[in-house]
Amino acid sequence: MQTHKTGFISSCKAFVRDPFRMFGIVSVVVLLLLTIAPAKDYLSEWHGYQRQYLNFIRNRGDAITLRRHFVGGIHQIWIPQLDVVDRCETCHVGLTEASLADVKEQPFRAHPVMPHKLTEFGCVICHRGQGAATTVNEAHHSKMAGEEPILPARYMESSCGQCHQGPLEGTPKLNRGRVMLSRYGCVSCHSISLPDGTKLEATDNPPPLSHIADKTTREWIYAWLKDPTSYSPSATMPNFGLSDADASDISAFLIANSVPQPGDQIALPAQGHGPEPDPAAGASLYGESFCASCHATQNAAGNLVGGDLGPELTNVGTKVKPEWLLGWMRDPQKYDPSTPMPQYRWTDAQLKVIAGYVQSKSNPDLLANVHLAPATRAQIAHGKQLVTEYGCASCHEIRGVPKPDNFGPNLSRIGSKPVVQLVFLPDMEHSLPAYLTQKIREPRSFGSTFRMPRYNFTPSQVEAVTTALLSLTDRSYSLPLSLQVPGMRETKYQPAGQAGQIMTNLNCLSCHRINGHGGDMAPDLSWEGSSVQRQWLDEFLKNPNTLRPALIRRMPKFNLTDAERTTLTDYMMTVYQTSSFQRDEMPLTGYTPEQIEKGRQLFYSKYACQSCHMVNPNEDKGYIGPTLTKVGARLNAAWIFHYLKDPQAMRPGTIEPNQHMSDDDARALTAFLMAQKTGAGQGAK
Amino acid sequence: MPSTIETYFDKLERTRMWRSIFRSGRGSSTLHNALAIQQNVFLHLFPTKVRKRMVGLEATWYLGTLTLGTFIILVVTGVLLMLYYHPSVPQAYSDVKDLQFVVSSGLFLRNLHRWSAHAMVFLAFAHMFRVFYRGAYRAPREFNWVVGVVLLLVTLLLSYTGYLLPWDQLAYWAITVGTNISSAVPLIGDKIHFLLLGGNQVNANALLRFYVLHCVILPLTAVLFLAVHFWRIRKDGGLYVRESEPGTAGAQPQPASEERKKL
Repeated sequence: MQTHKTGFISSCKAFVRDPFRMFGIVSVVVLLLLTIAPAKDYLSEWHGYQRQYLNFIRNRGDAITLRRHFVGGIHQIWIPQLDVVDRCETCHVGLTEASLADVKEQPFRAHPVMPHKLTEFGCVICHRGQGAATTVNEAHHSKMAGEEPILPARYMESSCGQCHQGPLEGTPKLNRGRVMLSRYGCVSCHSISLPDGTKLEATDNPPPLSHIADKTTREWIYAWLKDPTSYSPSATMPNFGLSDADASDISAFLIANSVPQPGDQIALPAQGHGPEPDPAAGASLYGESFCASCHATQNAAGNLVGGDLGPELTNVGTKVKPEWLLGWMRDPQKYDPSTPMPQYRWTDAQLKVIAGYVQSKSNPDLLANVHLAPATRAQIAHGKQLVTEYGCASCHEIRGVPKPDNFGPNLSRIGSKPVVQLVFLPDMEHSLPAYLTQKIREPRSFGSTFRMPRYNFTPSQVEAVTTALLSLTDRSYSLPLSLQVPGMRETKYQPAGQAGQIMTNLNCLSCHRINGHGGDMAPDLSWEGSSVQRQWLDEFLKNPNTLRPALIRRMPKFNLTDAERTTLTDYMMTVYQTSSFQRDEMPLTGYTPEQIEKGRQLFYSKYACQSCHMVNPNEDKGYIGPTLTKVGARLNAAWIFHYLKDPQAMRPGTIEPNQHMSDDDARALTAFLMAQKTGAGQGAK
Repeated sequence: MPSTIETYFDKLERTRMWRSIFRSGRGSSTLHNALAIQQNVFLHLFPTKVRKRMVGLEATWYLGTLTLGTFIILVVTGVLLMLYYHPSVPQAYSDVKDLQFVVSSGLFLRNLHRWSAHAMVFLAFAHMFRVFYRGAYRAPREFNWVVGVVLLLVTLLLSYTGYLLPWDQLAYWAITVGTNISSAVPLIGDKIHFLLLGGNQVNANALLRFYVLHCVILPLTAVLFLAVHFWRIRKDGGLYVRESEPGTAGAQPQPASEERKKL
């Protein structure tokens, strides 16, 4: 055995010592190793998928067509100006085969119908992932420094937002998330600018706190700070997770820091003087003034009813002091010059009724357990320190605390943050969407030193905000200008002069939009002067009655004086005109009966306008568009004519269909509509 | 059969063309063999004669030859890689991706280049350790040792400059850190830093500069010093054999041999 082993070793040695043999062996080994390279190419994943695809289509009815479309090898979509090299089609062979739409096995399913062509943008711009890769893992899951993993389908709308900066019809989740970023004041701490240079502005109207002691009590502030949702489930104020002591100190500071604002309160009449407010009258005035257009209240079933422009009023009586509420109702701008609330011009009697009614909406239980010891100097000082640390002044105006710049990290490009730069919690999925979701849901779960507060968002709200944040990518900045679709830009428009003062006082722009500035609750008034007749406008301002029976939100009545009304009407008729036609280029009256009759026929048969509009209130059933019973006394003929010709040019975004009418048809319809002056259905059936 | 091949070679060696290319002439005498080495442009750097023992594995472990072998692999794969690579900021990274994903055997080329580079650094060190511990650096080979040290530096610089070329995060930060170290040199540190990067930041200029260094300047320097290195082996008396050295068996005792005696 021993000798055999020694013999073997020595023969090996002899074999190795012979340089020629050694050379031969090494050469063969090297050659074998070299064959690995081409073999690996042949056995690559994409080759496998293409073979699998050919097997897969073999037994289908459309095999011949599919086989003819199939071209082997690596395929790519190459768009140099977008920096796109997407080789996804190498494995996803049937992307453009309509007949493979219902295929279960990936990667062979056809792409669902989409608004862009596959070759227009490639794959990665929407789906992320690594387009250059030709292996499954690298293409979908690579998280190396520069690479992004594939985006889960539920956030897909965020990709649309890279080019489309404004709201889109097909992306409700993205639109909602974007509104929320402003609505919940995210952008007060985190500045977000869009590629076109605009900065997102907060729309939550946070109240100023410099005169807070005029308005409410330290106990209420304490309870609110501890948990805003216990006072109002729809609160946009987040929960800062303050300890009892911290909340007490902040409330102490805010009260101590407050200075009285002269004139923001009205002394209450002494008890027993005059009749107590009548709840029924209050409710009716509350309804007539359309307070619910902006303010919500909880109904008996616990559902919120009403608008969200102003704060929820369910428990407002617990919050506000009665003398402050009276003063606020008389002139809100006295207390907060930037409030969106209009000055209603109620009479003193009405003021008492409405304020009494609103004050009665209270829930004493909310503050029942709040007992605060009088504040000490140290507490107040600590409260100020906390207010500074938590960046309260980012949203609220607070006397003596300057608004911090960029309190939170800038989020303008958060959607491209590389995964390697994020710190994840244990057991957490390592992806940007998962990180953002967790950060929005439970910001403090990343450490108690984080200052970001927690919002009470539902999962779908969290998903919407995440989607909106994911749309803020580096790519949206590097896109060619021709591909950028900017949203509606908010201008700084303010009406001027005396009329401008009245409009500011009434806060018309809280609901109406004029020249690119203002709310979206009520019609755009930029061209109101071209649109309506002077007399109608004057009447409407005196007594606004609704144009659209189906709407709940209506224009409130503001008790304007005659002089104010005349000023407003003059201003609107003169200033708010379109340059595309002359208001008086068509007469208001004097159309021939033949024209009117032709228009009537067009209205009822060719264009079937009665499906949405109502001319004869007794017969027509159209409730979708505005009632046209008295349209001849309301609108200008020229406006009607041009509106019929191209509705979207006159009112962008209106649902009125563009029928591409001939001039004759439009003129006849205008004649018919202008004949509708008294609401009796002139010329109608 | 063998005789047929032999006559064929015989005929071939008699042709005018053969004789014009190989000047040593026909014959297998020692002289002819020596001439064949001495009159060949590539082989004349080497000694015309070596002891048979010295070409065995035990003599050198072939460490120097293997280092040369990796260098040759690096040149060949490097030239092939240059066919696909643009030293420009927008393209460098995607070219590397293309090599990985679509170029036939591109990944093999790149990996071979990379592993050979690692191997070359390792082998160069191993070679130098062996030379050092065997004492082969001593007279008359001191100069060749110095040439070897220069070659080691060139190898390391080749390795370092190649690191930037993929233009990924790893490369970017490695070069940022590396060049920042150079700015710690007293007085002229910032100048060196600027010179290396062609600017103050790792950017397009730095990429181009490192590319030129990696593909032109440093390989040429390496080839130049390699030539000297091999030529000096011959001139310094061939591969080092302890027994034949004057220092080990000679009359004057040298400090190194004193040391060895103690051991």
